[in-house]
Amino acid sequence: MSSHLDAAPLGVGILGAGPVTQAIHLPSLARLGDILTVRHIMDVDPAVAESVAARVGAAHSTSLEALLGDPAVEIVAICSPHQFHAEQVIAACRAGKKAVLCEKPFAMNAEEAAQISAVSEETGVPIIVGAMHTFDPGWLAAQENWDDLPETAHTVRSSIVLPPNARFEDFATEIITRPAGGSPDYSDPEVIKGALRGGIMGLAIHDLPLIRRFTPDFKDIEVLEARHVRPFGYVISLRTPTRTIELRAAMNNTWKPEWSFEAFSDDAALRIDFTPSYVQAGSAVATFSKSGGTTGAVTTSLGPFEHNGYEGEWRELAALATGTKQPPPAQTLIDDLTFALDIADATVARFDARHTTLPAVPEGAHA
Amino acid sequence: MSAPVDTKQYTVQATPEAQEAGAVALAVASLPESFGPAVGGNAADVVVIAGRPGWTADAAQAITAGARGVVVVNPAPENTESLQATAQRNAAVVVLDQRWATNPALPAVEDAMRSMTGRAAVLDTVATAPVGTDIGELLADHIAAVVRMAGPLANLRLVTRGPHGYTATAVLANSAPVAVQGIVTGARPAGVNVTLLTDDGGVSATLPSPVAAWPATVRVTGPQGELLLPTIYESAHRATWRRLKEHLDAGTIPSDLQRFAATSESIATLT
Repeated sequence: MSSHLDAAPLGVGILGAGPVTQAIHLPSLARLGDILTVRHIMDVDPAVAESVAARVGAAHSTSLEALLGDPAVEIVAICSPHQFHAEQVIAACRAGKKAVLCEKPFAMNAEEAAQISAVSEETGVPIIVGAMHTFDPGWLAAQENWDDLPETAHTVRSSIVLPPNARFEDFATEIITRPAGGSPDYSDPEVIKGALRGGIMGLAIHDLPLIRRFTPDFKDIEVLEARHVRPFGYVISLRTPTRTIELRAAMNNTWKPEWSFEAFSDDAALRIDFTPSYVQAGSAVATFSKSGGTTGAVTTSLGPFEHNGYEGEWRELAALATGTKQPPPAQTLIDDLTFALDIADATVARFDARHTTLPAVPEGAHA
Repeated sequence: MSAPVDTKQYTVQATPEAQEAGAVALAVASLPESFGPAVGGNAADVVVIAGRPGWTADAAQAITAGARGVVVVNPAPENTESLQATAQRNAAVVVLDQRWATNPALPAVEDAMRSMTGRAAVLDTVATAPVGTDIGELLADHIAAVVRMAGPLANLRLVTRGPHGYTATAVLANSAPVAVQGIVTGARPAGVNVTLLTDDGGVSATLPSPVAAWPATVRVTGPQGELLLPTIYESAHRATWRRLKEHLDAGTIPSDLQRFAATSESIATLT
């Protein structure tokens, strides 16, 4: 339920009108018409900007300045290519907007992240990063119930099996202008290294904030093994002094998605099964199990709830923009980013030429 | 009214350790026409021993003392060459009762996986076991089950090992990565999950602990959908005894020891 039923919906401007905007953000916003309304769509391709804006009756443009100069835009969502994120987040803060959503990653390095945080603090404009699982009601319900598991867990797993994005995009909307697929040179180890980095920063990054929450000594992360999975995916083994962390991902042509996060201690375990991106398939389901001694394990399930983490992001933004909630500490966003960057760098460094015979896709592989 | 079935019943004797680890009384009681306890001082047809280090010598000794069959419960990795020769010489049947590798669902999993391993993209497997489990034994049982299902693992190597579990790495015959993890926790039932993914589907199996007759769950996924293979409500223990009976009746030699030798060799490289 909205807390803003008596107020006019907040105006939203979106930078970048690609598949994520079309298939994720616009359908999510369509469910939140009482609190948020799209006022402006910007894309470097004028035809795309016009067409996508027309779907929601919004203004359109091809420049950052035009969108930020539009007084109807109170909240800015940055869905452009990664390399533009930092510059655009800073510009949106300086333009005096009420809140900013930046797709992950919100910067390309720790220095940029620190700059962004400083500007956010100076301008008072709250920023959230589009790590949608951290806004999923299933995750939030788990958070309310996990007691000391983040401190006592010794093993953490993230496992992702996904069909090609297009399968779910087409269930969510009618996409125009999909990016063209490339033809990487699979014999080039640098291409494979790029794919591994892309896997971390484009796919694993969805769950790295969750993993970090269960890894108090995250600054001491070490990559022990990193392998590429064809046609796109990874098997990565990590460790800190107190945690064993396993990351698995495979994007292939299956119809059957699986997206899970697990944490284990000696006597408790949490499993969260997330719904696929793009489709409005409700929240994750969190399942706790606890050792029951001779009577076996006792399990408790939370969810599913009616909305997913993307809608959760927008609800959070509306609450931040109206001052009914406080933004996350800047350090949290910086730590999430540097955790992902550290793993990406260490994964590439660990990469072994023996595993370089498999194909790759570029960064930003998945929303 | 049906005529009595003419069935040979084999007498059984188990060491106390094996009796408990193998739930022998229950398994034997569930096959009452085939097996029964040895009475008095009579030598048993079948001897059950625990698979702690030195079990191959114990088994060979039982065979030379007259046992026609030997059941080894949870065998530790060990060289089986001499035992194989002894069993062959005495026409004795040695079967291994392994936590997961002798689950009665395994042949079906093996068929499903072997038909896909040429197209495999990745094999991911996780074993969970209660706190206090010997990590080496868990790893050995885990690898035995995976090898049984997916075939030989090349470049098997431990990535990390500690009191809470282990991570190992290997590759399948087509170079697809194999990720092996063991997790010690009391929060989940002991068991093994194995998922083999291909480009358009795969096979997933969940193998339960043999302490009850929980069925393994085996799903085969392809472009047309997903098939749940028939569930078998029989523990790995009982399936082992049923197999023993078949070999004793037919006078055939099971491949348990040969297969175990190959797995032991792989595991030896991990230590």
